[in-house]
Amino acid sequence: MAVFMDLNITYTTDKKRLRSVIETAAHLGYSTVAINYVVDLQQKKQEIGKPKCVLELFDTFPIVQGKSRPIKVLNRLTVVASDPSHFRPNAEYKAYDLVAVYPKTEKLFHAACMTFDVDIICVAVTEKQPFFFKRSPVNGAIERGVFFEISYTPAIRDSTMRRYTIANAISLMETCKGKNVIVTSGAEKPLELRGPYDIANLVLLFGLSEGDGKAAISTNCRAVHLHGETRKTALGIVHTMKKDQPLTERQEEEHVPVSKRAKIETV
Amino acid sequence: MIHHGSRNIFSSRHRHVLSEMVRLKSRYLLCEVCVSDRSNLLLLDDRAIYTAAKAAVARAHGDYGAALSSLGFSVKYLNAHTGIVFLRCRKSHYRLIWSALPFITSLENRGQRVPCFLNCLHVGGTIRTCQKFLVRYNTQQLHRMLPLCQSEGMRWSALFLYISSLPMHGFLIADNMPSSLVRFE
Repeated sequence: MAVFMDLNITYTTDKKRLRSVIETAAHLGYSTVAINYVVDLQQKKQEIGKPKCVLELFDTFPIVQGKSRPIKVLNRLTVVASDPSHFRPNAEYKAYDLVAVYPKTEKLFHAACMTFDVDIICVAVTEKQPFFFKRSPVNGAIERGVFFEISYTPAIRDSTMRRYTIANAISLMETCKGKNVIVTSGAEKPLELRGPYDIANLVLLFGLSEGDGKAAISTNCRAVHLHGETRKTALGIVHTMKKDQPLTERQEEEHVPVSKRAKIETV
Repeated sequence: MIHHGSRNIFSSRHRHVLSEMVRLKSRYLLCEVCVSDRSNLLLLDDRAIYTAAKAAVARAHGDYGAALSSLGFSVKYLNAHTGIVFLRCRKSHYRLIWSALPFITSLENRGQRVPCFLNCLHVGGTIRTCQKFLVRYNTQQLHRMLPLCQSEGMRWSALFLYISSLPMHGFLIADNMPSSLVRFE
């Protein structure tokens, strides 16, 4: 039970608040966090912009409580989809480490589980579930390695949200039997975060067993992170990185025809 | 007179049958109160945490929770300077009470509301095991915070804070030191 991750920290333009949230997360013991950019394509044609560079936030990342490594910060995109045309994977998605979708209808949920190229499927916590979970898409998602996410911060804020969260979470657990579930915060302020052991205990209320609860914040999150990394690679084997070549080398290469250029493989 | 030996139920070897004591097992939850600005921490006292925890359990688990938390639930120790709290509950119900602790959003003390949250660090069966964990945790905290201290005075006050958080010794030291040393500036 070593590595805890919190994969949902809402992006705010207020840098100070974002920094304090990440510092609190490091203090509580989370080794990795992900800044979540939510895009709702129904509203006034929002564009999917590039994520802000993580290095802009911190000069030195805060060190995780109990370990000697600094905290790792990822970028994540959540697409709120109420229409099948909203989700179109294109090059902009590649700039993010994790991609999530929040389906609003049953058809979209089925499509997201079976076909969409996502890592996380968000389960509604702020409203009553408009559709029921069926076994077939949920099992299909489990086989593909897609995870279901439950966010706990609305439950902390408001009492009616608490009821929706628990109701939706229990109906999800009945269908998926506790597999492939991650629990994340949707923290906007540093006081909305909770420690990992507290969350592992809180999910007992959702119907998860003790072992599943601990996995929901550690091993399953790590699996999501790896799943997101495989999207960047070819078949999960080759990882390409853009490397800045010095100008002179590039010009020299242009003179040599393609067939005679040396085949270089960089790992 | 026939000497029955140990077959006499009033003899010493059978006394445990008569005065059998069911051991009341409890769990001690070691929690840390996290606030956004540390000067607010000094205002807290154990009654505030007790009422906040009872209210949270009652809200989350209703009348059943409120009844359970009235059984053997108490705040055993509170260090206002570092924000460490020991909560004691019955072993049979500690999970229920623990599951309601994340819902605490603020503590009230003498009319002032301090927004905060409780972070549970360790669950132990006795106060001694919690103390042992606390010593390890504090040494880790010291390693994290000493490089960040900018002056000698801050370093001494950090050292003092963490050493004084050991329950038994801390009371003696905290009472004798002047209060100016205790402020974490």
